Amino acid sequence: MKTMKKVLTAILAVALTAMLFAGCNQSGGTAKGGVIKIGATGPLTGSASIYGISVNNGANLAVEEINAAGGVNGLTFSFEMKDDEATPDKVASAYDALLDAGMQISLGSVTSGACLAFGARAAADNIFFMTPSASNADVIAAGSNAFRVCFGDPDQGVLAAEELTKKYQTIGCIYDTSDEYSAGIYEAFKTKMGELGVAFETRTFDQDNKTDFSSQVEGLKNCDVIFLPFYYQEAGLVARACAGKGLDNIVLFGCDGLDGVAGEIDETVKNQISYITPFDVASTEKNVSDFVASYKAKYGAEPDQFAADGYDAIYAIVNAIKAAGVNDASIKASDLCEKVKAAITASSFKYDGVTGSMTWDASGACEKSAIIVVVGK
Amino acid sequence: MVTVIDGLSLGAIYALIALGYTMVYGIAKMLNFAHGDIIMVGAFAIFVTFSTLGHPLIAILVAVVICTVLGVTIERLAYRPLRTASPLAVLITAIGVSYLLQGIAQLIFGAGNNPVNFLASLGVVSFSLFGSQINVSWSSILTVGLGAILMVGLTLFVKYTRTGRAMRAVSEDRGAATLQGIDANKIIMITFAIGSFLAAFASLFYLSKTPVNPTFGSMPGIKAFTAAVIGGIGSIPGAMLGGILLGMIETICLSIPAISSYTTAIEFSVLIIILMIRPIGLLGKKRRVKV
Amino acid sequence: MKTLKYFKKQFAVKHFISYFVLIGVILVMAVLSATGALSRSAYSTLTKIGYSMILAVSLNLVVGFLGELSLGHAGFMCVGAYIGCFIFNLLEPVTGSGILTLIIAMLSGGVSAAIFGFIIGVPALRLRGDYLAICTLAFGEIVRNVFKNLPFFGGAKGLNTGLFDRTTLLFVTLVTVLVVLAIVQNLIRSKHGRAITAIRDNEIAARAMGVNVTYYKLLVFVLSAFAAGLSGVLYGKAVGIIRQDNFSYNYSIEILVMVVLGGIGSMNGSLIAATIITAVTVFLQNPPPAIRDALNLGDDTLAIVKTIAYAVILILIIMYNNAPVFAGLREKLSIKKLFAKFKKKDPGNISADEAKWDRITTKIEMDEVLRVDVKKREGELTDPDKPERGAK
Repeated sequence: MKTMKKVLTAILAVALTAMLFAGCNQSGGTAKGGVIKIGATGPLTGSASIYGISVNNGANLAVEEINAAGGVNGLTFSFEMKDDEATPDKVASAYDALLDAGMQISLGSVTSGACLAFGARAAADNIFFMTPSASNADVIAAGSNAFRVCFGDPDQGVLAAEELTKKYQTIGCIYDTSDEYSAGIYEAFKTKMGELGVAFETRTFDQDNKTDFSSQVEGLKNCDVIFLPFYYQEAGLVARACAGKGLDNIVLFGCDGLDGVAGEIDETVKNQISYITPFDVASTEKNVSDFVASYKAKYGAEPDQFAADGYDAIYAIVNAIKAAGVNDASIKASDLCEKVKAAITASSFKYDGVTGSMTWDASGACEKSAIIVVVGK
Repeated sequence: MVTVIDGLSLGAIYALIALGYTMVYGIAKMLNFAHGDIIMVGAFAIFVTFSTLGHPLIAILVAVVICTVLGVTIERLAYRPLRTASPLAVLITAIGVSYLLQGIAQLIFGAGNNPVNFLASLGVVSFSLFGSQINVSWSSILTVGLGAILMVGLTLFVKYTRTGRAMRAVSEDRGAATLQGIDANKIIMITFAIGSFLAAFASLFYLSKTPVNPTFGSMPGIKAFTAAVIGGIGSIPGAMLGGILLGMIETICLSIPAISSYTTAIEFSVLIIILMIRPIGLLGKKRRVKV
Repeated sequence: MKTLKYFKKQFAVKHFISYFVLIGVILVMAVLSATGALSRSAYSTLTKIGYSMILAVSLNLVVGFLGELSLGHAGFMCVGAYIGCFIFNLLEPVTGSGILTLIIAMLSGGVSAAIFGFIIGVPALRLRGDYLAICTLAFGEIVRNVFKNLPFFGGAKGLNTGLFDRTTLLFVTLVTVLVVLAIVQNLIRSKHGRAITAIRDNEIAARAMGVNVTYYKLLVFVLSAFAAGLSGVLYGKAVGIIRQDNFSYNYSIEILVMVVLGGIGSMNGSLIAATIITAVTVFLQNPPPAIRDALNLGDDTLAIVKTIAYAVILILIIMYNNAPVFAGLREKLSIKKLFAKFKKKDPGNISADEAKWDRITTKIEMDEVLRVDVKKREGELTDPDKPERGAK
């Protein structure tokens, strides 16, 4: 018994010290050979993994292109995404591991909840990050180092309220009470609708009840339009629920999360689906069609908005580094942050990406124009 | 009225899955947490066969065969070696199997959604009742109808066949049943086969509501587990009752805006209240505890 | 003098080994931290190990000693995290963001979780076994669902509470582990602990012997929930944002895995398993750059491989520990035998019987019983915790 305990103790001690050494080996921070290390976290497994994988694909494509073209200012780039399963507590260890591995600049996290945890850490360490898709208003409020490529949630809610009241009479809305993206847009939408003096019907769902939307659709069957401020997977289910009830005349209207819905529906869905988005995969703009073609060639699928955001986020960072004139990869993360921040908020800085032409102000919000894409009918 | 049919069709799916949980629990005395993932595998089987061969009946047949074989294989490889171990060890193995199946599915098919539409493309029935127009999809009707047939069939099987009797005997007392010459291992294997067979149908019906992805089975899995407990775990009619009850509660809660965001809390509160009143579930069998 | 003599006789290193190791770890960490040798990952991983240890130890109290399966431990943690960190946010402008505020937040988180522990303890009086397990699972999910809908706790976005200084947090966490461990160990080694194990072994018989079953069941649930609440606050301050979806039944199961792998009813086992499981998950999530480069799979594939590896490790450990098929292998590779080689004793001398006897946890208690008996006869001081056993 005594030996047994001693052995177990020994294992405990060894395990703890092993972890320490693992840490020590990685610490040291700066990169060698002119490579700037870009880190990020995102859901690569679990139910939100589809978004993380898209961003990862888009970002890797951008990094490959940039490096193949010889980099900028003599620098090349590497990109690493750690799996956070969209949960904040996984972000904690992923962030620290990225930092130990020498991350100098970052894409933050893919989902808003995770990115809030990321932002709190990055603000303390003054690491610049440009999140592709964490659209919650609080994400960029965490520090002056936080920037985003996507629209903010409130802006989309306001825009949707204006669009819908212009065109339709009876308006319905379904939103996800467990998702900050959905709830954020809904709050802004509700406030704007109140200002406009238009009444609307609301139904909700949450992460535990999001596979069957027949009861919500049943309650909104007399509406002309249903506003769907959430992601395309669930929107596809709403469309299928409409088809299952023969409610073909209801228009489904959503935000940028709906981009990709075309792949979720089939010929049984006859509803018109439209959404606000900065990215149109069918666009004839040269940079967009080039991006779509090379993405397809590399991954065998059409890019969604997340992939486009990831792609743009990398290019935005790299262009800002170029504009800042950084040419030494051994630069400290904090110094890099200050330089990139100054470059990206400069009035002369503009980036023409696949999700539109973007400029940034000191708040970290991205200024770009939205288009409304229509799928079906 | 439409809400009732929606609730019934969801309830029928939960009931079919709950049957798998309840039978395995009743006979092998273990919680098979990987059951939801068998549904996921079944749905992928339907997706792959249907998109390559294009014939729905063959797809269903293939799914049934794959699910049954998978259920038996998991039992043989992961659970049988642990027959003498503590129930908790088996529970954790089941969770491990569940992670494993999800991981493999994501490795093969990716994380995205794969819609299968042959049930949805059957269309919609319209009729008027009490002067109001009602639209119900064929898939809902089929779910309720076929689900009922399967459940009645299972009840008859357990009640009247030799194997069914043996299953009940093993469930009552495995040791005594073995002494009577029943091969308990074989019966447990058959139970897994039947549970997985029903899971294949559950995956078919669930596909009419949602496309398949690697986490396809986890949500109906936990709901069906709740249903099985509400009905009294180990009881076949209880699983059906619990499934339909839970499906109805979920559908009704979600259709009332004021409480819809509390749906999960309401479902689980119903579970706790029922267990407080009847600690063995609605139709569970009381067991006497010996000192 | 007498007391000291008694203490000397009673004192056995093996009973306190976990404390010594923990204190040792704290001291080593203090030195390393002061010299700046600790990497960032070391802080976050060690803190995570710390609060996982608290969770595992407190769940083991319910599962191993009360003998009830609880699948809602993350629910208690959720209550503690939300309420404790909410109070932290309220107090921060008044008392600053120092250690005092943290301790007040931890206590309030612990107490509020304990209240919920009491609430869930009530059905525990009526339900047993798997029905209680599903009841605790349901409780955890209800808590999560309700917190999601409370706007002042941040709603869907979660409660933003900010990060605590990582060095201080690490030491507060490790000290909390020590305190929780001391409370739990003292409880289970006292007469109360024996009453609790009596309920586990046979509730009806325990009741007949005059054990207050209601009191002890509630005590265990309240205590275990309190510790989970403490852990929740530590979690909240380590992560910075508290979201309800973190506390689903999956997390409860993760804690249960630690308890089962460490050995049900073994506190040292829980500590070790919490360390190993947390270290393995962090390692799999963040493989060292060398391994990542060597595999060259792409981060998304690597993440799936991680899930599969974790599942396979889990299944293999359970199989190895439990399946009769591996009994021979276990005997062959047992650590005891391995280490016996280094001693003078011939490894062959350990009979199968002896090995089996060692595994039965009651053996320690039997030793103690015998010792107390002997002392009683000598007219010496009796262990105040074991009066009934000594008096015959």
